[in-house]
Amino acid sequence: MPLSTNEKQARSVSPRLSLVKKKDRVTRLKEAVQAATPGICTERALLWTEYFKDKANRTKHVYVQMAEALAHSQNNRSIAIHPGELIVGNYTSRRVGGLMFPELHGLVVMQDLFKFPTRETNPLEISRLNQVRLLSIAPFWATRMLAVKTCDSWLDAFSLVLNQLMGNYYIINEAAGISHIAPDYETLCRLGTDGIKAQASKLQKQSLMDADKWYFYESVKIAAEGLAAFGERYAQLAAEMGENELDEGRAAELKAVAEVCSRVPRKGAKTFREALQCCFFAQIAINNESLDNSVCPGRMDHYLYPYYEKDLKTGLLTREEAKELVGAFSVKMSEIVPVFSKYITRTHGGFFNGQIVNVGGTDKNGEDSTNELTMIFLEVMDELRMRQPNYTARVHKNSPKEYLDKVYGILSKGANSPSIYNDEVIVPVLKQNGVKIGDARNYTPVGCVEPVAQGVSFSSTDAALFNTAIILELALNQGRRLGRFAQIGAKTKPASQMTCIEDVQEAFEIQMFHGINRLLKDLQAIEIANAEHHPTPLSSMLLDGCLENGACSTRGGTRYNFSGIQCVGLVDVGDSLAAIKQAVFEDKKLSMEELVGHLKNNLSDDRWRHYLLNMPKFGNDDPFADIWTAYALDVFKAALDGKTSTRGGKYTVGVYSVTLHEYWGTVVSALPNGRRNGESLSNGMSPSNGQDRKGPTAVLNSMNRIDYSKTDNGVNFNIKFDANTVGSPAGCIAMKSIFSTYFKRGGMQAQINVLDPKVLIEARDNPEAYPHLLVRVSGYSAYFNDLTPAMKEEMIRRTSMGL
Amino acid sequence: MAILFDIQRFCIHDGPGVRTTLFFKGCPLRCQWCQNPESQNPKPEIAFYQEKCVGCFECLEACPHEAIVSLPDRRIDRGKCDACGLCAEVCTQDALRLVGKDWDAESLVEEIAADRDFFLDSGGGLTLSGGEPLLQGDFLLEFLSLAKSEGIHTNLETCGMAGYEVLSSLTSLLDLVYFDLKLMDSQEHAKYTGASNARILSNFSLLAGEFPAVQARMPVIPGVNDSAENIFQTAAFLRHNNKNSIHLLPYHNLGQSKLTRLDAGAEPFYIRDIPEDYLIRAREAFEKEDVHAIVYE
Repeated sequence: MPLSTNEKQARSVSPRLSLVKKKDRVTRLKEAVQAATPGICTERALLWTEYFKDKANRTKHVYVQMAEALAHSQNNRSIAIHPGELIVGNYTSRRVGGLMFPELHGLVVMQDLFKFPTRETNPLEISRLNQVRLLSIAPFWATRMLAVKTCDSWLDAFSLVLNQLMGNYYIINEAAGISHIAPDYETLCRLGTDGIKAQASKLQKQSLMDADKWYFYESVKIAAEGLAAFGERYAQLAAEMGENELDEGRAAELKAVAEVCSRVPRKGAKTFREALQCCFFAQIAINNESLDNSVCPGRMDHYLYPYYEKDLKTGLLTREEAKELVGAFSVKMSEIVPVFSKYITRTHGGFFNGQIVNVGGTDKNGEDSTNELTMIFLEVMDELRMRQPNYTARVHKNSPKEYLDKVYGILSKGANSPSIYNDEVIVPVLKQNGVKIGDARNYTPVGCVEPVAQGVSFSSTDAALFNTAIILELALNQGRRLGRFAQIGAKTKPASQMTCIEDVQEAFEIQMFHGINRLLKDLQAIEIANAEHHPTPLSSMLLDGCLENGACSTRGGTRYNFSGIQCVGLVDVGDSLAAIKQAVFEDKKLSMEELVGHLKNNLSDDRWRHYLLNMPKFGNDDPFADIWTAYALDVFKAALDGKTSTRGGKYTVGVYSVTLHEYWGTVVSALPNGRRNGESLSNGMSPSNGQDRKGPTAVLNSMNRIDYSKTDNGVNFNIKFDANTVGSPAGCIAMKSIFSTYFKRGGMQAQINVLDPKVLIEARDNPEAYPHLLVRVSGYSAYFNDLTPAMKEEMIRRTSMGL
Repeated sequence: MAILFDIQRFCIHDGPGVRTTLFFKGCPLRCQWCQNPESQNPKPEIAFYQEKCVGCFECLEACPHEAIVSLPDRRIDRGKCDACGLCAEVCTQDALRLVGKDWDAESLVEEIAADRDFFLDSGGGLTLSGGEPLLQGDFLLEFLSLAKSEGIHTNLETCGMAGYEVLSSLTSLLDLVYFDLKLMDSQEHAKYTGASNARILSNFSLLAGEFPAVQARMPVIPGVNDSAENIFQTAAFLRHNNKNSIHLLPYHNLGQSKLTRLDAGAEPFYIRDIPEDYLIRAREAFEKEDVHAIVYE
């Protein structure tokens, strides 16, 4: 029986302390979290409501309101310290729970209020009493929620909400709050909330003539004090529990917890443990302040290393103890889930809050910054393999071999994490957007894949997602959906008059600009509503620039401002244009009019569908196909170029789709690439629907034909390997080699998934989902889909046995 | 021109590093356990994937030779079919496929050079496989010369059944040769592969004498060639040729169901109970004879 990776790693660590016992703790914590039933916490919603129902509060400045409402909610909700915990704090009143934001999208989510416990996907427990309680606050917020405040009329608000639920053309996430930040936890750990509060007080004294500034500093002081008090609640609870604890060992642990929490976040961290605890308290509070999505601790191995190094040197901490603390912290990050309705889940599936922790990369001077803590984080992510945090790894041309071996090693064993980011591409991209080199080198991915300079940038990286595929549908039918009469887009040339590919391009470009302009008009109204009605003083005090400028991050106070707009269905459009060029204008197999006719019929004629599916496709190392995906990206970018948000930042281009490629796949008509309505669109930057037929090196060659200086909000490139191919040492080396080449040649990002037998079983049961899944057995050539049922069983058996 | 039935990129079991493997069509042997039976016939042929066919019979209209039949497990009348591929072109389900495509040397090199960056980083290159590449020796001479001028590492996987002069003419263009030794007993060899091993063994000895980078390989077929005696003899043969290592390839039944797709008359060869430790035992037997055995995953 071969050793599992976990066992190997456990054995490779020198057992200075009782390792077995220590390892048990994190495993026990993990098991407790995984055994807990996820549910909805109503406390934040009710306390928030309580605050705003008080008429005296409603006359206060909005900055003060937000800071006070958060402090009120944080310091009156229930808290708990669970058995065995070293890092403490609760996102919600439940072990694993989700928050409600009635002032943002909470009311929209409440359409599923009575279905949450019984729904099939991601059921959430909620008691009857709490359902009634939530229902009782709905009337109060119906006139006060952000969408209503955005719009001049009720009718507009209604259509805005509806559009966010059933958005066919775009989805504006800022309608539910902004978040998507990598806060400056380094400064918080160094200064503590008292330090930040002192800065705010000093600046406030200089701002007597400027009410907005004065109130902003006031709100920062309240937010800082609220956060400090939140930590102290745990100090008190731990002390009380320690006194009543019969187990001496645990009593000592609780005493230590109390000591840590009595220092942080108020005083700033002196030790590694205090720093971790400090970050986690802030992490909880920020998730409660704004949208609980993509609040990212970021480069923890980098900014926590000085604490680790010092503690190790002074003998306060061993490597094993540090690893245990990191494990305990990591498990804690899985205690939050998003509360989404069925409709929102359609577009934002996956049940995760996008809290990214990053490892690797460089320091501000460009020197490699990997260290022992990097290795500890990698070990923890491999051993835990939990839903959260979303772990990422940065690589650059001088990344040490030991680090790379570890990253690819755990990936080849099926960890499916971390995803990998290339500094050599991303740092210049940020720099080109005006981010100073030192800040750019300190970037971390945020949310899904978006590179953000940590602690200094308000990048609203998931401001909106845009349906690029539907733009092509409009372009092929004079600005109308196929088979419908409503004029949605601009009036462009009918297909019958398109005599060359340039005519198609022209229509596509016009529709793209028209669609993007519509999106930006709606988005900017929401930007203003966020600034006016939902400022975020706590987040802002942890983003550099806000204090100096005396302005909230929602009002452009941060050093850098961006808004990320995602291009969804990019590869489908590229492949469709390639198919039009080849089939209509080169091979002349059919006219534009005939093609559009087939699309209207949803490609019901199998012969034409088959013919179109066999046209050149992105991902097969075919420049003819690949240039069209590059072209579609250019058009998307051009439509956003030169536009500025109300926060004074540029709109950046992202190519990822969360789960919108599936939902919009049900919306968009059949396309010239052979995809029928109902079939998924391409996932992010990956070849569409598994149309990559030539294996991973061909995919990487195609991926390297894209100029990633244009995708400044990041791309998601998913690539799957079967465990037979890359699970062996030789396979792992080969995998590492092809990705080093891809990155050396300017690749931006990769998410590598190594398929376990379960996936083969899934591929057996849903062949359409994996049309070109490669299986490699020495000297044997086949796609999984092409195997007979008996051969598929054989392959599953082999994979299960690790052959 | 040469005929190939597949080109597979990102291969990691056919030599060092990341490789592109070229599967040449046509083979002088008929090994019963053959896992790529579509490699045997040196001419193009139509494969029928029965489970994919939806019975639309678009192929019937497309075929100019009336070679389409409508039996449940058979679509092609092999007597009439000349493998023009028109049926495969119209098949919307990919149930009919043309196996075998002609390549000229230049296009083939161009196709392979697309992965040169990956070869360079990983120490990989191209691998000639099949089928038996040496059946298309003249083509290889031209093709390998071009590939070498592009700086691509070359490996030949061979069953060894060819005129020695063909092999000898290519050695200056090859970096590595993977040479199969299947069975030492000539009669057994003939029984399982359709030909005596005399020429194969003599080719191995000649090649080992003039070309150092030849690596012996053995597909280990449980109950066929993993006997103590065959391993003992193989080891002795290797030592005699100053070779001290062998690569052991695992057996699997995956090739067998390909047979019906080609209506190949061969009896399916299916080993029901593959012993779990047969490769380990084979390795130990070789090691005992001072031959270093490397087991493939």
